Amino acid sequence: MSLQILPRGKWVGARVKRVEDPRFLTGEARYLADLQIPGTVHAAFVRSPYGHARIRRIDTSAARALPGVLAVFTAEDVATLPPLASGLPIEGLKPTPQTVLAKDKVRFVGEAVAVVVAENRYIAEDAAELVAVDYEPLPAVTDAERAMAPDAPLLHEDLGTNVVYQKVITLGDVDGAFAQADRIFRRRFHTNRFVAAPMETRGCLSVYERSSGHLTFYSSTQMPHMLRLFLSLFLGIPEHKVRVISPEVGGGFGQKMTIYPEEVVIAYLGKVLGRPVKWVEDRRENLAAATHAKEQIIELEAAVRNDGKVLGLKARLIGDGGAYSFNTASALIEPLAAAGIIPGVYDIQAYQHEVIAVCTNKAPVGAFRAVGWTAAQTARELFFDEIARELGLDPAEFRRRNVITSDQFPYTTITGMVYDSGSYQESLERALELVGYEELRRRQAELRQQGRYLGIGISLYVEPTAWGSEIALQAGFPFPSHDNATVTIDPTGKVRVAVSVHSHGQGHETTLAQVAAEILGVSIDDVIVEHGDTDRAPWGMGTYASRSAVIGGGMVALAAQEVREKVLRVASRLLEVAPEDLEIQEGNVFVRGAPDRSLSLFQVAFAAYLDGRVRAEGEEPLLSATKFYDPRATYSNGCIVTVCEVDGETGTVHLDKIVAVEDCGTMLNPMIVEGQVMGAIAQGIGGALFEAMVYDENGQLLTDTFVTYALPTATEVPELIIEHLETPSPVTIGGIKGIGEGGLLATPASVAGAVLDAIWPAGRAIEQLPLTPERVLRALGGELGV
Amino acid sequence: MKPPAFAYERPQSLHEALEILAREGAEARPLAGGQSLIPMLALRLARPTLLVDLGEIAGLDELSLDDGTLVAGAMVRQRRLERDPLVAHHLPLLAAATRLVGHPAIRNRGTLGGSLAHADPSAEYPAVALALEAELVIRGPGGERSVPAREFFLGPFTTALADGELLTAVRFPLPSAATGWGIAEVARRHGDFALAGAVTLVERAADGTCARAAIALFGVATRPVRATAAEQALVGQPLTAETFHEAAVRATEAIDEPLSDVHGSAVYRKQIVPVVVRRALEAAAQRVQAT
Amino acid sequence: MERVPITVTVNGRRISAVVEPRMTLADFLREELGLTGTKLGCEHGVCGSCTVLWDGAAVRSCLVLAAQADGATITTIEGLATDGTLHPVQEAFWEAHALQCGFCTPGMVLTAVALLAENPNPSEEEIREALSGNLCRCTGYQNIVRAVQLAARHERADT
Repeated sequence: MSLQILPRGKWVGARVKRVEDPRFLTGEARYLADLQIPGTVHAAFVRSPYGHARIRRIDTSAARALPGVLAVFTAEDVATLPPLASGLPIEGLKPTPQTVLAKDKVRFVGEAVAVVVAENRYIAEDAAELVAVDYEPLPAVTDAERAMAPDAPLLHEDLGTNVVYQKVITLGDVDGAFAQADRIFRRRFHTNRFVAAPMETRGCLSVYERSSGHLTFYSSTQMPHMLRLFLSLFLGIPEHKVRVISPEVGGGFGQKMTIYPEEVVIAYLGKVLGRPVKWVEDRRENLAAATHAKEQIIELEAAVRNDGKVLGLKARLIGDGGAYSFNTASALIEPLAAAGIIPGVYDIQAYQHEVIAVCTNKAPVGAFRAVGWTAAQTARELFFDEIARELGLDPAEFRRRNVITSDQFPYTTITGMVYDSGSYQESLERALELVGYEELRRRQAELRQQGRYLGIGISLYVEPTAWGSEIALQAGFPFPSHDNATVTIDPTGKVRVAVSVHSHGQGHETTLAQVAAEILGVSIDDVIVEHGDTDRAPWGMGTYASRSAVIGGGMVALAAQEVREKVLRVASRLLEVAPEDLEIQEGNVFVRGAPDRSLSLFQVAFAAYLDGRVRAEGEEPLLSATKFYDPRATYSNGCIVTVCEVDGETGTVHLDKIVAVEDCGTMLNPMIVEGQVMGAIAQGIGGALFEAMVYDENGQLLTDTFVTYALPTATEVPELIIEHLETPSPVTIGGIKGIGEGGLLATPASVAGAVLDAIWPAGRAIEQLPLTPERVLRALGGELGV
Repeated sequence: MKPPAFAYERPQSLHEALEILAREGAEARPLAGGQSLIPMLALRLARPTLLVDLGEIAGLDELSLDDGTLVAGAMVRQRRLERDPLVAHHLPLLAAATRLVGHPAIRNRGTLGGSLAHADPSAEYPAVALALEAELVIRGPGGERSVPAREFFLGPFTTALADGELLTAVRFPLPSAATGWGIAEVARRHGDFALAGAVTLVERAADGTCARAAIALFGVATRPVRATAAEQALVGQPLTAETFHEAAVRATEAIDEPLSDVHGSAVYRKQIVPVVVRRALEAAAQRVQAT
Repeated sequence: MERVPITVTVNGRRISAVVEPRMTLADFLREELGLTGTKLGCEHGVCGSCTVLWDGAAVRSCLVLAAQADGATITTIEGLATDGTLHPVQEAFWEAHALQCGFCTPGMVLTAVALLAENPNPSEEEIREALSGNLCRCTGYQNIVRAVQLAARHERADT
């Protein structure tokens, strides 16, 4: 396979405006909630108000009696549905099966206990209130470390413990490193639990045709084919009679890459009630019951020489998995991913990690942009800042002394990741230059004299991307991961690209069309990209983990290349020249050097389909190819630098600017790359300063509205300065690397680092994000802050 | 997240509105701008049987000047207070406070009276009314009565309004020409409710000292409160940084039951009260110097 | 509950309907009129996705009852483009890559339209403040701010 098949030209690498935008701009785009199918009835879930309780009895009679109510289902009524469980094949990981409606016990606030179906959502909510559930409250445990104690309340009694996984792995000569070190440093961080909070909540619509036994299931999902597979298995409907359609999806960020109990319930209700059943999650449900993310307790220990060289690291990572080791990738999704990336961009030769996953009475944890890596990066970068200062080194200089340099690629990390290429030091230097680092340090010292707190935070990162089978294994999650594209030129010469990766804001209809257009020599106006419908797109895993540019781009390139070759073979017979002498540009096939000897793609395609004479022996009439791509591992990188000022009297943080230098190899569309980076940075600002899911000691959720759970708005995001470095991957098609996650991977560390830098040495006391004004002021030790 | 069922009436006159309220009793709620009430309905935190929409009652949205008093109808939209030249000229404090209320789309519907009657302890308007010693004009079955702001706010979301009564207007006495004003707050994000806020008025005597001071705190206690000890510490003193500092420290004495939530604990809120008070006093002093 | 008759002008069309008192304007537009361009992101008045123009001013349609809209003139995102030509603000959003998933876009666009109608030359700070009641989880806001600046420039150039 040639890795050079992705040429850069008119389309690839260009700032092409998104072809999908007009329908969003005019309100024509239809999301799940917008679908209107005659006869649809509406579901509302009855959810647990307790963090931990036994269900004694459920009385649904009043709800059933309400006019307009069709049905009320509890666990008993869905007993035939198998429980959901993590399918991750990792030794020592204990399963925690979750029935689709809570049976006997609830384990977190928001867990679905019953479901009501009514003529409209208003009535469904009225009826949900009438479902009387008799709970016996149980002691709750909401802190992961407390949940590990022998006397802690047990979530899953049959396990006899809340710890679902615990394992120590030692890599390299850790004892030697710690024995040789001049200094040993230790630090503990508790990264905050925050959530994807896509602007569109979850939702699904189940349409079952009794006469044929066909289920059409609309869902706001990132992975239609995976959902089809699981629905088929759970509901016992043969897979060929299940169609999953993911309409426009209003953001996912990982939260929609799982099989949710609600989806299984709604699919089932559609089947048994014989009416289309729709459920549109409301925001309170989304905040309480859709997967949470990113909470870990990370303890780090470093063996360091006086010159700043880090000889070895130890990490203890406790993932707070919430009530169930969830089916996305289990409660390991956070700590295991984090463990692999703790060394990051640094040349670390000895490393020991202990990974622990724990259940608590909180919502289950799942994927959210840069799963595990956000917490790991935050802990390590803040830790390294402190080590640098303790050693009297500038944090930038400390990084220079430890970073993997470009002459070391390919570089195999102590955890087994193979960094293919990158620009780690270059991105650091460029970011420092862009922000005016030396000058800022002088200014910082000046302002300190005046009692003002300027801070600079550096976060230097590597981002595992192109989530295929190889990188999944390198990151610790051994399951296969590939995707497929079908590229077809129809008889009139128009191009249809059907892909299994799903777009929920990423702009695939543009970027993947750019790839096809480039290879097939047509305008992107003549290309359409289809996704999200299992009947129209080939099988694949869907979109997550920054995989769509690499895998999607690669598979479309492969399929388009094969179709291109078919076109050239047909044209060579029509023009009576060898295929090698033909070129395609702007929709015309012509003889190289003799552009007047040409045919339109229309003519060639028309002949291919309808003129049997041009078809060579063994050739098929369809100008179509389906190709899969399961790329080698490739790693993006970058550096994010934040400048902030802290109000020493109130603890509030003002962000001045954020500079991001990123390197995702070959860019399909720089405009879209920048959009990904900026959006992820804003989420990172949220994680650093604003966002946290807060539970009280009884397991009560205190942040179930957008009033209590605070997302950053246009006034909290400062000027973002984005610059690209472009180091093409030597191992992927076209040199593409992913870009989706770096911003959220690295920004919390950058922003928090800037704040801690501003108030150093007071920042030592800070262990937990987000850096609310209160936490900052408390660290500053202000009594009465006049 | 849909509201529970309720009936709806849209009276055309105050008289009619009062009749409906009297008939329906405690389970009826007046609907002004709805920007606080409707989310409470959606979250099913409020369950009135009847909403009485005040939107079409003539005369409730008037804004006028009456002998040294700005009279604002209860249904005057916040957006108007932000931009009306009358307010900008005579009571710029009210316009400035308005800009801290939510976001433009909220202020386009939200009303002055609605915010005051809702009595969120973290809201700006109640503190402004308290600092200015505004009179709240109330109509009920028994006729009209007027309640000073300091007697109006009783606790979180609790006011002196009895069942069947409506807030119809607010009378804001205009501060003297020698009075400067300030408003300062700390909120987590732009437009959020304050974690602590202060509204200040400082009147300068002929000798340059403080003749009168008013300091109202919001976001820190179960209702807006006047920091009387801090006010007393200012009177007769020169308008200097030292004076403000000393007064500001005493402002916390006014807080009996501090607020606490996920955005800021009681300890934190109390801790930053002197900061917002001092900043608001400095702003007031600057304005009084400028006159 | 007794239903309420209303007459409301939506995107230039006068509509008479009878609504349940508790029905929000957002649900009326979406469910009764099929104008699903108005999005519901939180239903408690924080996210701004449901923003519509009410007599020209930006209003959250989840925070108003349909019954209250009697006599009002409402513009939704569907009413902004004329004869298939995008409004300058829509055009600028496209140009500046100011949308990704598109869910917040109708509310953002209408909020920007209302801002520019009253302040044709806003500063960046004014734009950010005007948009601060609308949440976006994809873009990081910067390109939305740029789009509003671009639209302001285009609209000024056209007048």
